[in-house]
Parts: sequence; structure tokens; C-alpha cells
Amino acid sequence: MGGLNRRSPDALIFLIFLVFLASLTSAWKKDEFRSCRQTPFCKRARGRAPNSLPSFSVADVSLSDGAVSARLVPAPTLRQVTDDDPSAADGDDASSRSLLLRLSVYRGGILRLEIDEDPSSAPTTKRRFRLPDVLLPNLDDRRLWLSRLSPDGASATSFYLADGFEGVLRHDPFQIVVRRAGSGGEPVLSLNSHGLFDFEQLRAKKDDENWEENFRSHTDSRPNGPQSISFDVSFHGADFVYGIPEHASTSLSLRPTRGPGVDESEPYRLFNLDVFEYLHDSPFGIYGSIPFMLSHGTRSTSGFFWLNAAEMQIDVLAPGWDDPAAPNAGRVDTFWMSEAGVVDAFFFVGPGPKDVLRQYASVTGTQAMPQEFAVAYHQCRWNYRDEEDVAAVDAGFDEHDIPYDVLWLDIDHADGKRYFTWDRVLFPHPEEMQNKLAAKGRHMVTIVDPHIKRDDSFYLHKEATEKGYYVKDASGKDFDGWCWPGSSSYPDMLNPEIREWWAEKFSLKEYVGSTPSLYIWNDMNEPSVFNGPEVTMPRDAIHMGGVEHRELHNAYGYYFHMATSNGLFKRGNGKDRPFVLSRAIFAGSQRYGAIWTGDNSADWDHLRVSVPMILNLGLAGMSFSGADVGGFFGNPENDLLVRWYQLGAYYPFFRAHAHHDTKRREPWLFGEHNTALMREAIHTRYSLLPYYYTLFREAAVTGIPVMRPLWLEFPSDKETYDNGEAFLVGSSLLVHGIYEKDQKSASVYLPSGASWYNLRNGVKFDGGVSHKLAVSEDSIPSFQRAGTIIPRKDRFRRSSTQMVNDPYTLVIALNGSLAAEGELYIDDGKSYDFEQGAYIHRRFIFTDRKLTSIDIRPSNVGDKKFSTDCTVERIILLGLPSGAKKAVVEPGNHETNIELGPLTLRRASPPVALTIRKPNVRVTDDWSLRIL
Amino acid sequence: MRTHLLFPVSLAISCLCLSWISGLASLPPRELLGIAPEDENFYKSDVIKCKDGSKKFTKQQLNDDFCDCLDGTDEPGTSACPEGKFYCRNPGHIPQMIYSSRVNDGICDCCDGSDEYKGNVNCPNTCWEAGKAVCEKLKKKIATHQDGLVIRKREVEKAKQAFAKDEEELSKLKSEEKILKGLVDKLREHKEQIEKAEEEERLKKEEEKKQRDAERQSTEQNKSLEESPSDHSEGTHDTLLEKTSQPDKMDIGHESVDQLEKEYNSGIDIPADHTVGQVVDDHHDFIRSDHGSDDTSDELPSGHSTDQHVYEDKTTTNAGPNYETGAKEIDSDHAAEMEKGSESADGLSREELGRLVASRWTGEHSMKETNEPDDAKEEEHEQHEQNQDSSDSVEEESYDSDIDDDRHKFDDDDFEDEADEEYGEDHVEPDGSYDPDKDYSSELSDLTPSGSSSWVDKIQQTIQNILQAFNFFKSPVDISEASRIKKEYNDANSKLSKLRSRISSLTEKLKHDFGKDKEFYSFYDRCFENKQNKYVYKVCPFKKASQVEDHSTTQLGNWEKFDESHRVMQFSNGDRCWNGPDRSLKVRLRCGVKDELADVDEPSRCEYVAILSTPILCLEDKLKELQQKLEDLNKSQPSKHDEL
Repeated sequence: MGGLNRRSPDALIFLIFLVFLASLTSAWKKDEFRSCRQTPFCKRARGRAPNSLPSFSVADVSLSDGAVSARLVPAPTLRQVTDDDPSAADGDDASSRSLLLRLSVYRGGILRLEIDEDPSSAPTTKRRFRLPDVLLPNLDDRRLWLSRLSPDGASATSFYLADGFEGVLRHDPFQIVVRRAGSGGEPVLSLNSHGLFDFEQLRAKKDDENWEENFRSHTDSRPNGPQSISFDVSFHGADFVYGIPEHASTSLSLRPTRGPGVDESEPYRLFNLDVFEYLHDSPFGIYGSIPFMLSHGTRSTSGFFWLNAAEMQIDVLAPGWDDPAAPNAGRVDTFWMSEAGVVDAFFFVGPGPKDVLRQYASVTGTQAMPQEFAVAYHQCRWNYRDEEDVAAVDAGFDEHDIPYDVLWLDIDHADGKRYFTWDRVLFPHPEEMQNKLAAKGRHMVTIVDPHIKRDDSFYLHKEATEKGYYVKDASGKDFDGWCWPGSSSYPDMLNPEIREWWAEKFSLKEYVGSTPSLYIWNDMNEPSVFNGPEVTMPRDAIHMGGVEHRELHNAYGYYFHMATSNGLFKRGNGKDRPFVLSRAIFAGSQRYGAIWTGDNSADWDHLRVSVPMILNLGLAGMSFSGADVGGFFGNPENDLLVRWYQLGAYYPFFRAHAHHDTKRREPWLFGEHNTALMREAIHTRYSLLPYYYTLFREAAVTGIPVMRPLWLEFPSDKETYDNGEAFLVGSSLLVHGIYEKDQKSASVYLPSGASWYNLRNGVKFDGGVSHKLAVSEDSIPSFQRAGTIIPRKDRFRRSSTQMVNDPYTLVIALNGSLAAEGELYIDDGKSYDFEQGAYIHRRFIFTDRKLTSIDIRPSNVGDKKFSTDCTVERIILLGLPSGAKKAVVEPGNHETNIELGPLTLRRASPPVALTIRKPNVRVTDDWSLRIL
Repeated sequence: MRTHLLFPVSLAISCLCLSWISGLASLPPRELLGIAPEDENFYKSDVIKCKDGSKKFTKQQLNDDFCDCLDGTDEPGTSACPEGKFYCRNPGHIPQMIYSSRVNDGICDCCDGSDEYKGNVNCPNTCWEAGKAVCEKLKKKIATHQDGLVIRKREVEKAKQAFAKDEEELSKLKSEEKILKGLVDKLREHKEQIEKAEEEERLKKEEEKKQRDAERQSTEQNKSLEESPSDHSEGTHDTLLEKTSQPDKMDIGHESVDQLEKEYNSGIDIPADHTVGQVVDDHHDFIRSDHGSDDTSDELPSGHSTDQHVYEDKTTTNAGPNYETGAKEIDSDHAAEMEKGSESADGLSREELGRLVASRWTGEHSMKETNEPDDAKEEEHEQHEQNQDSSDSVEEESYDSDIDDDRHKFDDDDFEDEADEEYGEDHVEPDGSYDPDKDYSSELSDLTPSGSSSWVDKIQQTIQNILQAFNFFKSPVDISEASRIKKEYNDANSKLSKLRSRISSLTEKLKHDFGKDKEFYSFYDRCFENKQNKYVYKVCPFKKASQVEDHSTTQLGNWEKFDESHRVMQFSNGDRCWNGPDRSLKVRLRCGVKDELADVDEPSRCEYVAILSTPILCLEDKLKELQQKLEDLNKSQPSKHDEL
């Protein structure tokens, strides 16, 4: 960089050339984002060796209010002087004040640890930020009242955590351990077992101190000085760790970032950023941050969640990092660092993978139940230019008999990027346009971003300015940043009053040109600020109550998503489920809608990385997620586009999207053959909609994601632990992507303990084996697990809306004992009546050559009923020995034929499976069907 | 495209139609649902075959709402088979085949409402009104076709004649070329002999003067040494000439030309001969002489551009979008760096930085609204402007990027080539209207057959006379005679080259595909314009298409070919788009009584489409088809009327 300062033209040209060469391999601007080394708190923390810090010891352990409370007393030694933070030295009161610690236990195996400063001895008026609104409001109702502390030797206190588990507070040095109860006392999770706990307490600034931090041309005033927190967490009995999205990684598990055998790597960064052309394999932070990690091994699964919205950096430490001579086996150590906030952390004991997910969901909530249309296919582009374009694209789908449910409008639909308005030249009749789509059962989505154009004639800006609703800059003026509309300001979504105000803007009256079939897309809510440090808001910007942006940065998008979702909820008088897609995410975002993986690229690597990304999002609670089908930047080759549709058809959120520089990409523009392949892929999704909707219900109730890593269903099969190429949809369907051009065969591992039926031809494959399969262009490998029943609808309409009365097909894949089970959930697909019991929930059980449909809707869920005349038109039986000719349906005792039929109603699909013709039983009814 | 869905089927027997209508009030019989009349016999038997031959089904399985044939044969009237089709009779309108997926989906598709027989929705019969509207439209279309057809016939006749005339001219020119070439050869012979004689005389005289010259030798040498370094380009010439005299002439020559061009571009910067000043001419002449023959020098630039083309292809296919964006990023970065000359974007104002970052996603030029370009930019700018009458925002954009590319030339020859190429093109046709043919025809008006049919004869006569009059054996050479021969040779030679260029342009023209009846021949010399807001779109078939805004022109593409059996004109390889593909234009042709360009649109970035109405597309077959359609429509209308 020295060449630049000398202003030598030759050097400059040379440098430009070098940058140019670099950009050939990657256009991603690494320089623009801070590395750990450039981030003082991270650099400080990461440089420490285990047990090198003066330790904290525990004092005054007591039970108060049903929870363990104690003081953390720093050792009286002087803190070590570090180069970066000399002010932390010289024995000022900050390092001698004790911290307050609280441990509480929640039902279901959850331990909460809170550590904050002691307000009674605080030297400043500034209080550390505790992030509100993320934990479920009813969490406190599930707190267990601890009544007894047991001394654990002299040096520790233990207490009940859950059946089979106990929590331990070690006194000196301070350590938290979650362990199995009983004599063995095998640890599950521990915090500070490597003595890396550090807590920079707030203190008064001395006259000679300069707390400013500079990055590139930006200066962060840091008025409150250093306040970071760091600690180590160990996952015992773990082979791998997962989660802490959002990162782009081709690996399902989190690769170690530090330690023996690890190349120099950044820690995993959690800092919501709008990264232009993000890399497909990097620990750098992108749009979302969920500080929840889970571990899995043959012996146990556990989880750890740190509720903290400041910048976080997390190291996964390779075995032997602490002691190369004795590398730890069966344990994964991690190191967590955050710039600000408090310790408010949750330990989830498992012991099974789904237990951990349920435990996490009981703290941050489950996926909001989407409307049925939202689970179908979405067509998006930046930008569908005008009403004519919209009509033509809509007609194109009809013309080619390709279903789609939602047409999207990006930023250019609005008048000068003033969201909530329309460019009246391009969109003179927005209501009419939406109504035309609605007449075909289709919906529209428009974009509403958080940057509000600073234009005095724009009502929204005027109102927000007058009411003082904008985030302030460090000097107290409305923060003014650059985004799509140019000079923009950002509403302070931390403030509930402002969120309410924002929500009102979505009423049909206020949002002129909107109709009830219009839903919303929140983009750029990291927030993206083009001229801000790291393309986001300065950390010293000020929110409600003097909260610094640095303290809540990662949750800004979450609040924005929440406010928008609430707006649609209000618009529909609480009777219409909102659909809001967000790009920025935080823990709890699942409660407000769908998310997607942002601006990916049209290349094979980005196709591949979409699977581990979505899987890790799912593990962290975000069930409703997907990647842009086709890739946002660039033009996909035909085969890549087709493969992307084939894979994307299984994403929980299935949307095609493209940058405005790319060629048009509607599925019929690539020749009839490719059109047919894409239509087939989209049809696959539509036929599986009943199954997907049922899985969304499961996610909404339990927190178990729709799209699952194999190990979630096969926790003892080690082969599955790091498989990021295949995934399960629910528990019954396994899909393996094709990620390479001209790939002729694929090596597909099918988990052990079950057989698998190829969904194309019904061929049965053994589990526990890697199969080398020939790959054709018309589908990607997909299998139904033996022992499961999948409900489908095999008639295709313009959109899911018209499928509501269509009959079902049940696909029964029998296991070795000729048995199978599956579920079907149905409601009105729109409203919240299901909360009052207006739904159908059936379980289908096949055993002893008899299929039974039983009602599993609890009788106490409410008085409302949902009813449908839908029937089952076809039952496909895989794995039943041939010979059966007839079946008898009860009640009614009517006979129906069994014949050989195809697996899909597609031309040239071979007759491979026994098919029960027209049982015509109603899905609402109890019935049984006996194979004769 | 829309017709893809409509399967117009003629109603052969109107009584069938009537019988069906009588049943419209109630649900039609199951066996008849969705079946086209001509198919009814197929469904008569008790056991019916799937049309794809896959299996058989019984009459009970026909329209029983369960898909037995995967091609949909057994379910023409229900939605059970995804690949099936449903037939709506649409009395009063045109019958229609719709996808099975539309049957009983709650949306009225057939105008007679027959696709919604389950009563999920009440579909009013709109065939009569719709039919009437369609009828009117059809009639209009037919009228247009009829009128257009008349014009077309006339045009085709004209085109045929014009084509024949040009062919005739070509063959005539070719024979004239032969004669003229003979004359030129003879003249050259004479000229060379004269020169030889003159040379001998000169040598003789020189011998005499040798003594005196020797005395002055040293002073002259000194003088020339002083002079030569003052002219940089001459210095290059010298080196180059030395090199070409080496045995490995071609290779070195080529390399040198590249080198020369590099120097010459950086030094002089005016590669085109359009606004060529003296200096440039010299350079060009120099390049020619370097290669020894005119042929080689003509080929060289094109060879050069071919290489370049290959290079460009490579970058796009190999590096893909990343490369493009990379380049774009550099541009913006670069711009930023130029701005302050310090650490990348850091020195930018807040607004500039915002624009810069935004431009990554939009591909728009981030600095557009910041004025003050830095000095280096300004310089280049001026140099450009010397050769360019005008520039405006559109051109400035591409132009700025040129400058950036230019910068890379110091590091990368390939980039220099690319920059040069774009650059060169700009200058050859700065206003987009340059037409080499036009130039030619004005210059050669004296050569055109209509001008004077016997000009060759005349020349032949004159030259013959001169040659005969000339006495080779006279010594010393008669100076006036000799110069006359030289002059005649030069004149004839230049006429010959003009003739040749006319021949090649005619040959070039006649090589094109003008359609079966040469019906597009008149398009060759025509351009069609369409004004949309601030842009004027100009389409010149067989040549190129452009978008003109005020004084700036963006090339939308060069003529590529006709597509879809002469229904589409394809222009490609237009100006490069920022962060996008090379511009291209697809002109769809449609029947109309006038030639009219309309509906220019850009559905994908930098991929334009337009519609050109022309009588040439008013085809007899299409007219018949339309008339048939109208007839069918009329046939079914009265029956519907009766029902009312």
C-alpha cells in the first residue's frame, strides 16, 4: 500500500493492475471488511493463551428468586498490559470490581447464565445493553424454581437442571459445567474450562485516553470505550459443531479456525453485512447472525446460545489447540468474543438432536406458520419493469403450463425508491395489476427497505423527521447514509413506538396501491449503508435510550422484519398470516417470516453452498429459507439453471431471482427441452406441497426444521455427520444435489437403518451404503425412506390456490416388516383459525396389509373446525409383494382395484408400483383400507 | 407465442355443433367431456387405446377422474392427467384446446364456460362478444393483409428487377476491370521502361558529379544527423525499415507493426482515416510499404481484429460474470483512486462513496454525478474530443471505460488491443451514418454504367494513342511524354482501384440473403427509424442498428442474419454494455401496409427487440389462414345466435 502514498503514477498503475488481477479470481472486496486483526477487541481476545488471564472466582453463592446468584471476583493481580489496550492496565477500578452472576433453569433442559456489571459500583451512567424482544415472552413461565443447592466438594455448587442433568458452578477459577447427573458426572457443556473468560468493564475515560477506532476513512468515536466479552465453551462428547449462521461454507459442520493443522483462518464472524458477491466458502460475516451453536457426536448432542447482538467472532478450535501434546478427543472447544453487551447465554442439554432444537425453539420461538401460497414457487427478478412486463410474465407461465404463486417487484417499482409508492409511469394501475393476479389465485410481493429517502416531499420522511423516529448519528442529528434512493435515513426499530408507527404504514389505506393479496420483502436491513463503514451503519450511531448501534447491530434487521410482519398482521386484522421475506436475520427471525441467503452468484459453487447454508439456518431455527434459484449475479448456463430448479424445488423457500444485468430467465426461455425440465422440477414441488405444508406445521410446533441434515434423523450414523451434499426433507425424503456440470454419476450415501426407494423408478436401495448412481438430466437423486408415507397432490394448476379441492395421492414406502407411517396436516392455508383448532391432522399407519387413517388433532385445541371434501384418489405402494389385486375400504365395505401404475403422472413414467385405484376416501374421515 | 395455446380447429359439421349446444344447459354427458368432434369416433369403442400406445382402458374409465393414460387420452374432460388437453367448443367463437390443469380450477378459461362444469364458479358465456371482437380484429387483419399483399407484389417485382440490374452491372464491371487491368499493365510496363531510362541517365550524370559531391560529403552527413532525431516517428520508420530488410521479413514485420501501432497510438492517438490528417496518412502509407504489397496491408487490420475477437470470447466464457464485474469494480475503484490518488475509496466524500458502492450492484457509473474528473482523465478526454464532434452521457460512459482499458495497456498487450479496437470503431463512424457505399457512388459517378457506357472504350483509345506516340528509343527521354505516361498510369490505376472497390461492394451486397423472391432487396439501402422519448432508434437492414440520442450514437448491433424463415432480423455484436453483454437487437417483422418501425423495447439488459411492419410480410398463405379462421368463426356464430 506504500506505493499509493507516494503517489507515484507507475506504482498506481501497477497497483490497479494487481487489484485487477485479484479481482479476476474474486471480485469480493476483502479490504472493505474488517478482519479480526483489524478489530481490536477480536485481536486482543484471540491473542490470549488458555489460562493466561487472571482468573475470576465465585463468591456469595446463594439462591434468590429461585435462581442461583453469585459474585464473580477478579483475582487481585494486575491485569496484563496489552499493546492494544494499555488502558486496561494500571490497576484501575474496572479490573477490581466484581461482576454479578445469575444461573436460572428452564423446563426441558435449559440452563441460563447471565453475567453483568454490578450497577451499585458502576463508575459511569452507561449501562450495558441487554437485548429485549428476542426471548419468547412466556419464557419466564417455564422457569424452574430452584430450592436446593448441593455443595460439590468444597470448590463447587451443583443444582438440578433436568432429569439426568445437573448444573455445576465451580468456584475458583470460575467455571460453569453442565453434566450428566450421577456418579460418572460426564460433562456435556462447559464454559471457561480453559480460563479464557474476560469481561472489559465500563469505566470513566481518562483525559489522556483516546478511545477512537479508525477503519479506512471511517472513525468510530467509541464514547464508552472497550467493553468486550470473551470466553471459551467446550462441547463434550462432540465430533462436530454446527450452526452460528449465516456463513457461506461448502462444509456442513463448522471447520476449525485455529489450532494444529489449521491454515491461518479468520474466526467465524457474526456481523450482519451486505457483501457484494460474497464468496462461496468463507467464515466472514454476511447478512445474518444467529449466535446459536450445536454440537453432535455419537454420545450426545448439545447446544449453546449467546443472546448478544453486538459483533461476535467465534473460533472453532482444532484438537490440540490448548496442548498439542495431548489433543482432546471427543470434545470440541470454541472461543466466543463479542464487542459489547452482557453475558446472557443458554445451555441446551439435548441429549438428542431434536431435543436441542426444541430447547432452542422454546427460548427464541418456532417458525411462523406460513400461508400455503408462500410454500409454493415464487418468481422474482430485479426488476419486472412495468405492468406490461408483469402481465407478460404471468401469461408466460400460463402459456407453458408452469405453476407459480407469487410475482415479485424489486426496488424499481417504487417512485424513486420511495417505498410504499409506485412509479406511476411504469405502474399506473397497481391495484388492478394485483387484482388480475389475484383472480388467478396468485399473489404479489413488493419490496420495502429500511432506508427512507431524505426528500422533504416524501410523506414518510417528513413524518419520521417530525416525530424524531430516525436513528441518530454520534453527534445527535438524524443519521444520513447513502443507499438506493441516495441520501437516506433509517427508522429506529429498537423503539416499540416506532415499530407500531411503521406497522401502520402497511394498512391498505396508508399503503396506496396495495391490495390484500400484496405481501412484503425486506431487503438491505443489515442495514446496508453504501457509504458507511463496511457498507453498514456506524457503530456509534444512537438508538432509543442512548443504545449504541454497535450494541444491537445484528438485531436491527430482526426488528425491521418484526415491525413489517406486524404491519401485515394488523392489515389483516390478525386474520391473515403475514408473508415477509427478510435478508438480515437474528435469533428469533423465524417468528416473522422467511429469509433467503442473499445475493449469490450463478455458478456451480453457489449451487453447492446453498445446501449447507440452508441446513445450518434450519438448525438455528430458520426453517423457511432458500437461496436464489439460478443465482442472483451472472447468467447461469442452461444446465446449471435446470439443476438449480431441480434442487431449489426442495428448498423450504423456493424463489427464482436475478440481477437486472442478467439475461431474462423465465423458465421457458431456454428451449422446449429445458422448459420441460424446469416445469417438471416445479411440478415436483407442487405435488409435494401437502407434505411440505405438514412439515411447516411440525416446524411451527416443535422447531424441527423442514430441511434437515441427515444426522438429525440418523444421529448414530457417523457417515452422515458432515454430509453437506444431501439433505432430508422432513424425515421421509432424501435429496442429493448435482453440483457439477456434465456430471454423469453421483455417489449418494443413504443412511443406515432404513432402505430407500428411488422416487423416479421405485428401485429399492440399502441404507448404510454409498451408492454410485447414474445421473440423468431430468432429475436429481431423490429417495423415499422405507417405513414412511408421503402425501402428495399430483394435479397441477396455475397456482397452489386452485389445488385446494384436488384429491391426494399417498405414497407408501414399506419397510422390512411391511409397515409405514406418515402424517398430513391441512388447514385453510391463510388464517389463524388453526390456533382455535380449525385444522385436520391425520396419521396414516400401514401395518398388517392394512392402511388406517387416524385423527391426531388433540381434542382440546379449540372449537373451530376445518373441513374439506378432498379425497384420496390414488395410493401407491412401494415394497408390497406383488399379487394383490383388490382392496376393501371401511366404512362402506367397498372394493377397489389394485393395478401396476407409475410413480408420477408424467409421460413415459414406467408402471412400477402397485397402485390402489380411486379409494376415494375423504381425508377428513377415519377410514381403513385392507389389501386383499 | 400466445397462439401456442390455441389450437384452432375448424368445425366441419355445423349440425354437430348445434346438437351439443342443446345440452349446454345441463352437464354434458361424461363420455363427451372435453373431446373434440373429430375425436369422437376414437372414443366410440368399448375398449380404447391410449394415444401413446402405452395401454388400453375401458369406456367406464373414460373421464372417470382417474388418470390411466399418462398422455391424458382417458381424461379429456377432467384434470386427472397433468398432460391432458380439454377441448372447448366455444360456439360463436373459435374452438380451443386448453390444458387439463384448467378444468374445474375455479377460473373461467373457455368462453363458453365448459371448463368449469363442476360449478366451483359461474362462468357466463362470453363467446358471442369475444367472437365478435375477434371477428372485427380478424377482418382488420385480413384487410391489412390484402392491401399489403398488393404492395408486396409490386415491391417484389421491383426488387427482382433491381437485383437483376445490379447483377448485370456487376458482370459488366468485371469485364471492364479485365480491360482496364490490361491497360494498366501495359502502362506500367512503359512507365517502368521510362524510369529505367531515366535512371540510367541519372547515373550517368551522377558519375560526372561524383568528384564534386565527394568534397561536400562530410558536411551533408552532419546535417542529416542533426535533423533525424527531431522527428520521433521518422526514427521509428528507420528502425522498422531496417528490420524489414532482414530475411525473416513477415514475422518481424508483424511484430513491428504492433509495436509501431502502439507507439503511434500513444503518440498520436488517431487511428482512423475518417478525420485523417497528414500525419496519419503518412503512418498508414508506412504500414503498407512495410508489408511490401497492398494486399498484405489490407489484410493486416482485419487479422488484427480477429485475434482480438478471440481474446474477447475467451474472457467472457472462461472468466464469466466474475471477470466482468471484476473489470467493473476496477473501473469504479480506479475512478476513486484517480480522484485522490490515495488509498482506494477512502478519500471519497460520503456521497461519492455511497454512489461507488451502489454502482457495484447497479453497474451504473458511480461518478456520473460528480463532476471534476482528474487531470489524467481530462487529458485523454481532450484527445478524444479532437476527433469526435460530440459526446454525451451515453458515449461518455463507454468512453470512460475505454480510458480505463487504455491504462492497462502499459501492463497488458491484450488490453491495449481491446482498447484500440473499440477506439478505432468509434472513430471510423463517429455519427453512425457513415456509408462507404455512398462515398463510393459519388466519387465514381463517372464510372457508373448510366454515366457513360463507353468510358472504358474512350480510355482505351486515349491510352492506345499515347502509347503508340511514345518513342522508347529517343534519348534523352522526352520529359513531357514520360510524365504523360506516368499520369495516365496513375489515373488508370486509380480508376481500376475504384472499379475494384465498386465490384467488391456490389459482390458484398449481392451475397446477402434477400429472401426467396429477393423481396428484401430494397431494404439494403434503407433505414427505418422510430422515436421513443429522447431516443431515436435506427435500423438499417443488412448493415446495422443504432440508438441515437442527440448527437451520440450507441450501436445496437451489426447485421447478423434473418431468423425464423425471414420473420426476424437479427443484429448482434453492438456496443458493449456496462456490466452486460454486447448489445443486440431482434427485429420481428409483421405484415403492415407501410414500412414502420415500432415497439422498441429492452426486455433484458442490452438485448433489444423491435417490431417492423412491412408489406413484405403480408403473405398469401397467412391471408388464406386468416380467411379460413374468419370463415370458421362466421360459421359458428349464427348457431349461437339461434340459441339466444
